[in-house]
Formats: sequence, structure tokens, C-alpha cells
Amino acid sequence: MNTKVDNIAPAVKNQFERMIGSGCSFADARFYDEDSSQHIVLYDGNLESNNRGFERGIGVRVLKQGAWGFAATANLTAISACFDRALANAQAAAKLLGFPKDMGPAQPTKGQYRPPVEKDPFEIPLSEKLKFLKDIDTSLRDKTVAQRIVTANFQRRRIYYWNSEGTEIDRWVLNTFGSMMVMSPDKDGRNQRRSVELYSDGTGTRGYEWLTNPDWFAGHAERIKSELSEILAAESLPPGKRDVILLPGQGFLQVHETIGHALELDRILGYELSFAGGSHVRPEMIGTLRYGSEKLNCRAGVVENSAGTFGYDDEGSQQRDFMLIDKGVLVNVLSCRADLAEANAKAGKTVVKESGTAARASAFYRSPIDRMTNINIDPGQDGTLEDIIKDTKDGVVLDVPVSWSIGSNREHFHFGCEIAWEVKDGRRTKVYKNPTYQGHTLEFWGSLDKVGNRSTWRLHQVPNCGKGEPNQIMELGHGIPVMRFRNVQTGEKE
Amino acid sequence: MFEDRLRDLLISGRNQARKKGINAEFSFHREKSSLIRLGNSAVALSTHEELTRLDISVQQGRKVGSSSLTADITSSEQLQATLDQAAENCKAALGKDYEPIFGKVEETVDDSAGFDPELENFSPEAKTDLYAEVVKALKPKGKYDFSGSWSSGSTEMYYITTANDNEAYRRLTDSKFLMVLKEQNRKWELSVERTANKTGTFMADDVIAEFSSLLPIYEKNSGYKTKIGRQRVLFGPQAIAELLMLGIWGGFFGRFWEEKRAYTAKNKFGDKLFDASITITDDPTNPNVFGMPFDFSGKRRRPFVLVEKGLFKGLLYDSMAAAKYKKQPTGHDLSNTDFVLAPGNGPAGLEAGKKLAKNALYIPHLHYTHLPDPTKGMFTGSSRFNAMRLENGEFIAPLFSTRITDTSPSVFNNIVAVSSISVSQNESSTYSRRMPEAMSVPEYMLCDNVRITDVADSF
Ligand SMILES: [Zn+2]
Repeated sequence: MNTKVDNIAPAVKNQFERMIGSGCSFADARFYDEDSSQHIVLYDGNLESNNRGFERGIGVRVLKQGAWGFAATANLTAISACFDRALANAQAAAKLLGFPKDMGPAQPTKGQYRPPVEKDPFEIPLSEKLKFLKDIDTSLRDKTVAQRIVTANFQRRRIYYWNSEGTEIDRWVLNTFGSMMVMSPDKDGRNQRRSVELYSDGTGTRGYEWLTNPDWFAGHAERIKSELSEILAAESLPPGKRDVILLPGQGFLQVHETIGHALELDRILGYELSFAGGSHVRPEMIGTLRYGSEKLNCRAGVVENSAGTFGYDDEGSQQRDFMLIDKGVLVNVLSCRADLAEANAKAGKTVVKESGTAARASAFYRSPIDRMTNINIDPGQDGTLEDIIKDTKDGVVLDVPVSWSIGSNREHFHFGCEIAWEVKDGRRTKVYKNPTYQGHTLEFWGSLDKVGNRSTWRLHQVPNCGKGEPNQIMELGHGIPVMRFRNVQTGEKE
Repeated sequence: MFEDRLRDLLISGRNQARKKGINAEFSFHREKSSLIRLGNSAVALSTHEELTRLDISVQQGRKVGSSSLTADITSSEQLQATLDQAAENCKAALGKDYEPIFGKVEETVDDSAGFDPELENFSPEAKTDLYAEVVKALKPKGKYDFSGSWSSGSTEMYYITTANDNEAYRRLTDSKFLMVLKEQNRKWELSVERTANKTGTFMADDVIAEFSSLLPIYEKNSGYKTKIGRQRVLFGPQAIAELLMLGIWGGFFGRFWEEKRAYTAKNKFGDKLFDASITITDDPTNPNVFGMPFDFSGKRRRPFVLVEKGLFKGLLYDSMAAAKYKKQPTGHDLSNTDFVLAPGNGPAGLEAGKKLAKNALYIPHLHYTHLPDPTKGMFTGSSRFNAMRLENGEFIAPLFSTRITDTSPSVFNNIVAVSSISVSQNESSTYSRRMPEAMSVPEYMLCDNVRITDVADSF
């Protein structure tokens, strides 16, 4: 059988009819005609990963008697059998049914999406990419540097989505990631490092041209090298309470772990409890919970050049831009269609009106779950980084996570960073190594008192967020300004 | 035995590569996986995946390139395209500053001993029925909510290279069961885990009995908040496996040792690292592990000693680290190892372990672990499921969330007793491809001077 999309589409639609005829209330399918990846790693200048990946197949879901069944296959001549599997899975699940899943009113949609790209990375010769990365590696060489790691990662996907409501979505996904890191042992023998990952100010396009723009990647090689030597000469951050200024390179993880994950509706409803964990947020808190200070404005945003922007989610809902936290108050969460009714029933009132367009799957062989998209903090009105430093009496500026430990309900956290700059009386004074800080989520966000303006706002990507069973690795984005938090516990008592 | 159609296809791929003068390694992976997820005491998701994957690596001199395919691998065109892609990547590659090692199947392996056709086709209904039985028996007894997951399936792996005509084939089934009971008001959690390689190894009654044995202590007593400082801890299987993994990560990877990033970096073989009761091996012949007979450079995997009676005996070198640092590869070009912490001389049974411990914290699970300073072997992690306070050899109260921040050398040097009975601890994940992995660990390990760094007022 010819497995081109022209043949797959009618075959899938026939199956939808058959599934609805078998008593299903909903069915959908994602056909990945192409899921290409390229992974390049230079470790101390040696090309240790030089791989091209290609995946192709179909994943289908059916909803019967309020229970989900999922099945996936790479055998595109066996689509009917794949639907049979999904149906059998749903029937088995219905034998121990909880709150019945319900897609709500039908939302038939037809759409296309293509991300903004100038140069498709898969059209660039490997030799050109390797030369570019090797030049970065060479510039990281230094007698103070013990190990160097330079990586690039590209993804290109052609995904067709259809469902039994008549929705048809045809989209491309294209993502570009890059990272560089230098490491060395300090005088105590402890490994220290300094790194940068490909980022941006949120403007521009997300093809190969992004990686080669020196502002957002290669141009930082000299800086991380010289900052590593400062770290190696530095003392450890002494413990104490002080103000903490997070650069976007650290702020993105703070948002990811203590806002993003906590606001995933499946976690809030308890469906991730035995694996990823729960949330300190309960459904009835949506609309009223004070999550942070008045300065906190957080949204699920649509940023053109980000891995968290995908046009339509894996239920065919067009990605929306909406507030999650408005002037410190929790107003919405990350959701997909099927969990809205349960959230509202558990809250005893309508707390979520429409899908948060966050249903995302990592591959054709994984079922969509609630995922972060671009979880951004809106820029504030407190000036530049220098303005915020000038206003700080006793604090530290922190950048880039090294370690993190977060409570299973995201209610408290402990982070270690690569570097700290001490701030005394409005001036950066010196560098400290081994900086850490910790806190309780709501108290910490309540202490947010300065939010930098648009000049401080940076888009960081997360290529490897893990969640779900079977496990899924997802890519997403965070647009974050410089933020200051008051009176935070920092450093470790020996 | 590997299916003829696929075997012929892959061997024809090898022949084509030889004809073109290409050095190529072919690694085939096929899985049939199914998983059900329990949430809010109901089945939240039921999945089934049938996937075939082919990884080809090509090496010419110091250049290496590879290509991976996850699709329907039934046509020689598809295989040819993947081989061409790997060859093209190799051609454009940068040469390494060392001589890479090319894969070669040491001896032909054809191993289907761990395959159970019943487990391969274990139905989602059977899983749902078992979960339903446990929920039905226990849910009326308190404000309990149940969650968990149950994955089962089969994995086939086949590896050949152009270096010789040998073939390495493995087919096995595995199952990993987890069920968590959470009390909704006080928020404590109990868990029951099971590992299996065939069906019928456990029943709902066993799970109900295990929960029931834990419930009275948790129901009748309020949480125990221990003191910060060094204390005696009785570790259970999941925590021991976690400690073992953290200890191996920080200290026994050849690359990190060579780069002086391992906590063993200043040691040489023969040095005393740990207490004499500690012996650590990677042993595919142990009955508690899934036992991978070869790795993906073609090495035959045999018992490999890392620590013997406390003495430093070995480091893990995959072929990349071995080539770079001019060492022999040790059969570790794979992600699913078979680590074994040998049983000790302690009396058999948890009851005996409790009597021996007298007053201690019982921590059978460690969660949210990470390594803040790997160069010292420092790790941190928190208690979660089934943790209790022991007094005079009896459980007296459930333990509030307790954080341990210590070093691997310190924990493995402060051994009081290690049980003489071993159990299997499933460590499989479902990221990317199915890769069954288990460890064999003693059912308990009693340690003194474990550093408690944080205690919460909640579970
Ligand atoms: Zn994450």
C-alpha cells in the first residue's frame, strides 16, 4: 500500500466512522509523515555525536464511555488494527472509570502552520555546521578550561492531525537548539562550569540563521571563558538572607519549575501523582489564589521564534495567548479540552472556560498530555538591569542553573547556579562560586518587587522537559525579564 | 530466534555495506509495549505501541557518523537510505584526535530465555481488573486515593557489524508495576512495587496484603519529625538501588575518572573505598536483573567487578572513553546495566533487620535525588513512601519528609549490616525506547552516621 498522506487521510477518516459507530464519542489521529532530528556534540573538540534521526508513523486516540485509549504504530498498512488496539484500551480503561472525560462542544477547525524560518537547518550541509561548531570549540580553548562541550540540535516535523469532529490541521515544526559549556575543577577539586544556550530577545526567526547570529550564541564564547576563570578564583557564596536578582538565564527555570509545572491541569487534578507529582494549586483556587506580588504577570504566550510555539496543539486547538497570573492573581492554567469539565466540577464553579491549547505529545507514539507552551513573564517598568542593581543595597545577581530540587507539589524549591555577582550599595562588587537559594513558591513570588523592562526580556528554550508515562521529553520556551526578589535565603551552611 | 524476514534484511544490509567497503554497525530494536496509568483511583490512560527502530553507525578511520530510523523497517530501500545517511554523516565528519573502536560481535548470542509470550500479550483488562480489586478492597477503609502505572511488553535487540559474521540477538519480556495509596487529608503516601519477567508472579491479594501491613502504623500515629544531624538509618530496596546508582554515577565511570571529575579520581585499583561488606558488580548472570548478554559494540557481557569487599576493582569504560584513554572497553556501550550490590551477612528478613537496627529511621525510598557536588560523591534526596520511625525494633510512627545530604563514600563506609537476602528492584524508564533494567539489592542495609539535613512538618 502507498503510505503517502493522500492515502492515509481517507483511511483514517474511515476509521473515525467505524469508531463512532462502535460507540466512541471522539477519535483523533496524528500522522507524522516526517520527524527528523539531528544531534551534534563536540566534546573537547571530538565529534562524539553525529547522528541524523528519522521517525514516521501514526498515533490514534479514541474516547469511549469517558475513557481514553491510545495506540501507535510505525506500520502504516495496519491503521485499522491500530484503531482496534486503541478501542480495546479504552474499553479496558472504562472498567475502572473515574470522572468521565469529555471533549465539550465540537470545535471543527481547518488550519495550517509553518514556523518563521529563513534557512532550514536540514538544508545546510553537515560540513558547514561542523565548521561553525568547531570554530566555537576552538575559541573556548584555554589553559584554564579542562573540558569543553559544544552542541547543536535540530528538529523538523511534518504532522497531520485529524479528528472525528472534522478538524484537519497540517503543520510543520522546526526547532533549533545550541549550547556551549566550559568546565574546570576549582582549588577544592569541585567542578565549576559556565555555559550559554541559544536564546533571543523574542524577535527574529528560528532556523539555522538563529544559531549563527553571534548576539544569541557564538558571540558569548569569550565571555563564558573569562567568567569561568573568575568563578575559579572566587570564594563560595556565604550563607545569609539577601535580595536575589535573577537574570533570564536562571529566571526561566524558576518560572518553569514553580509556575509552569504547578499550573499543568493534569497535575492539579492528580493524574501525575505517582510519577511527576502533584500541584499545590487546587481547582477552586483558579481565579482567586494570590500567587505572587502585584508585579507578577505571567502568560502562556505566543512567541514566534520559540520551540513553545507550534500553531495548533495535538488536539487541533489553535494556540492562544492568555494570562495565567494577572497582577499576582492566578487566573488560568495549562489545559487541554478533556479535563475542563472535571476541573470545573471539582471547583464547584466554572474556573476554566476553554482549552489552554496545551495538549502536546513528544512523538507519534506518545499520547498528548498537558504541557507548557511559552510560559512568559511580562516585562515590567523597573528599568534596566543596571537600574535594578543601582537600587539594591545587599544582594546577588544569579545566572544559569546547575542543580535543582523541587517538592513534588512544587510548593518549595532549592536551586544551585553557575555564578553569582555580589551587589553592595547599588554596585556589582565581586563574583562568588557555588551560589544556591531556596524558598517557598508563594512566599518567594510574593517577594517579587522589581521587574525589568523589555530591554531585559529574553527568550530561553527548554529542549528536555520530562513528564508523563510512557515518558515524554518535550521542548518549550520561556520569555523572562530580569526579576528581583527580596530577602531570600541564599548559600549553604557548611 | 530472530524472525527470518528481518534477519535476512539486516544481513543483506551488512553485505551491501561490505560490497561498498563501508564499516557499519547495525542495531535493531523492536518493542511491543503497553501501559496503563492509574490516577484518582481510576484508569486514566491505556496505551499500546508497536515500534521498530534501526540505528546504523559508520566508521572510516577516525571519522564516525550515524543514522537512526523509527519507522516500518521492512524494505531494503528504507534500510539502504539509513545506511547512506550514516555513510554521508561519516564522510562529512571531523576526525577524532584518537583512534575510535569499531564494533565487532565477539561471539554469536541467541537468547530468548527471558521471553514469555503471555506477558508480551498481557491484556489491559487483566491489569485493570487487578487495580480494581485492590481499589475495591482498600478504598472503603479510609480517605484513600490510588495512582500508579503498570508497563509490560517485549523487547527484541539484534546487533551485527561488517567486522565479522557473528550475530547478537536478545528477546525478553518485562513488567513494572507501581501502585501508590495517598491519604487525602494528611497526605501521606504508601507504595507497592513489583518487577516481573513472566505473568502470574503476583496477584491482587499480595498487593492488598502489603498495603494492609503498612496502613495501621500510618493510620494510628501522627508523623514523626526527626532531628537534623547524623543518625542510624535502615534503608529498603528502592533507596538502596538509588544509593547504588548515585554511588556508581559519581565514582565509577571511566570518562569522569580520567577527567578527574569522579570522587574516586585520587584512588587507584586496590585502594579501600568502602566498608568490607560492600561488593558491587555489573552482573548479567544474576537472576534478579534482566541480564543483557551483549552490548552495542558487540562485547559479550560477563560479571564485572567494581568494588570487591570494599576495595576499588574496576571502572566502566564504553568504547568511546576506552578509545580516548587507551583502556579496554568493559561492555558498557548500553543504557540498561545489571548492577548488583551483593548480599551481606545480616540476618534474613526485614523483621530481623528491624530488631538489629533497634532505634533508627526506616527509609525504603529516596526521591528527588541529585548530585550537588559529584567530585565529593555528594548526593541529596528525600524520604517519601513507606518511611517510618523504628524504636526498639518496632515501627512506631510514619516519618515526616526527611532529607538526607551525604556522600556515597560516607554511606558505604558506615555499614552496620547488609541483609543476606537479595531482591530485584526495577529501574526501567520509558523515555525513548523500551529498555528493561533492574538491579539486585539486599532487602535492607543498616547504616550509621547518615547525615539528615532537613525535616519537614509534613509527609
Ligand atoms: Zn519540566
